[in-house]
Amino acid sequence: MNAAAAPVEILMVEDSPGAVRLTIEALRDAGLASSVHVVEDGVAALDFLYCRPPYGDAARPDLVLLDLNLPRKNGSEVLGEIRRDPALNGIPVVVLSTSDAENDVARCMALDANCYVVKPMDYEGFVAVVAGLKRFWI
Amino acid sequence: MNATLPSTVLIVDDTPANVRVLAEYLDGHGFNVTVAQDGEEGLERARFGQPDLILLDAMMPGWDGFETCRRLKADPATAAIPVIFMTALSDIGDKVRAYGAGGIDYVTKPFHAEEVLARVNTHLSLRNMQRELQERNEALQREIRERQRAEQVLAERSRELARSNAELERMAYIASHDLQEPLRMVASYVQLLERRYMGQLDADAHEFIGFAVDGARRMQALIDDLLTISRVDTKARPLQQLELGDALAAAMRSLRISIEERQAEVRVEALPRVLGDAAQLTQVFQNLLSNAIKFCHAAPPTASISAQRDGALWRIRVSDNGIGVPQEYRERIFGMFQRLHGRREYAGTGIGLAICQKIVERHGGTIWVEDGEGGGSAFVFTLQAAGQEGA
Repeated sequence: MNAAAAPVEILMVEDSPGAVRLTIEALRDAGLASSVHVVEDGVAALDFLYCRPPYGDAARPDLVLLDLNLPRKNGSEVLGEIRRDPALNGIPVVVLSTSDAENDVARCMALDANCYVVKPMDYEGFVAVVAGLKRFWI
Repeated sequence: MNATLPSTVLIVDDTPANVRVLAEYLDGHGFNVTVAQDGEEGLERARFGQPDLILLDAMMPGWDGFETCRRLKADPATAAIPVIFMTALSDIGDKVRAYGAGGIDYVTKPFHAEEVLARVNTHLSLRNMQRELQERNEALQREIRERQRAEQVLAERSRELARSNAELERMAYIASHDLQEPLRMVASYVQLLERRYMGQLDADAHEFIGFAVDGARRMQALIDDLLTISRVDTKARPLQQLELGDALAAAMRSLRISIEERQAEVRVEALPRVLGDAAQLTQVFQNLLSNAIKFCHAAPPTASISAQRDGALWRIRVSDNGIGVPQEYRERIFGMFQRLHGRREYAGTGIGLAICQKIVERHGGTIWVEDGEGGGSAFVFTLQAAGQEGA
């Protein structure tokens, strides 16, 4: 797929506006044309994926970027529900977390996350990580 | 009688004339003798006089000796006083009844004074021994109760301590973790600012950004160190037998870049098998070696690692040719965030040695610093030797 032709649809589940903007900037600096939809908690993420109101016309995302520590329903619960539903199961899910705790990583891998990324502390490192996301849709 | 205070004997008999000789005889042998003329008076005198022993006539008008004895035994104030019955020689039934009523012995009339004295003395010394035993018993029980109380207090305190320790460690862990995200925002956005506005900013702006990035980086290092130190306990693995040489090799692998950069030389003697947590001992070597390389002006920086058996322990020595640690700072350097040098001289958070100390202590050892050969310092720590290990 040619990135210039149609931007990838990314659903970002993240409650920190700073983290959202940083990811959008990093996507830009990594040269990835994307259209990022943002929801702030796990319940809204599932509403979006099931096109429930207010996301009635939501497009099926090419990639879900999932934070773990979320209001209402946390990231691993969302991941579990996506993987249990055959209709959603095919969507790549990348967990983006500040936690490098072994049990967080293990739980997400057990739930078939496509990738678990510990957010790097510096921006250049983050751009490199974001650039690496390409492999999930090319 | 060998007691220091004279013993008191109460004689209860309705015809004092019958017992006068006996009373005088006992009096002559150092006893205080009191006499009551019937059972009721006897009970009264026993209560208030607390005699050491009672000689009780079996046959009396009113309450006879048996009834009196039963009452004496029923009253807690007099129950413990030994009662010797005085009965007629022939009456075997009376003797049996005397024991049944709580009497301890009997003497028969007419009295044989020496026999009475012998029985009185026997029962008094029995009674004294019994008292002594009882006192010792009570003292012992008091002691047991006190110890139990002390143990309870101790157990409660150690439970509290363990609880607050666990809480503290958890807090340090959470705080360190939760501090990462806001710090990431600061560092990343400052870097983004620099990247996007490069060339549009003047030299001052770049310098300011440099300080902000450096501050964020140092804070990151502090958080990492705090996490490491809180993990010494929270992520501890049980101690097991291991080759100390493997832990050192792992440490050297992670220091490869700085060893190569400074062309440092690390000399290793044969290292023993010890009881330890491999990851944590690797951390100790890593911290000590990186200090040895960092705090050194000599070329090449040289560190020597050796081991010496010391009873059930091994003494591990990491010596260097670095700048050394002045005598007055040798305890302080193991404290958290203790630095002896300005940041521009030597970078660092001042927590590395605190981590080493915490790990070594968790392994049941101690760590200290002494003079190294040739002006540097030597960090020495002890570890438990692995089982079945020869010296």
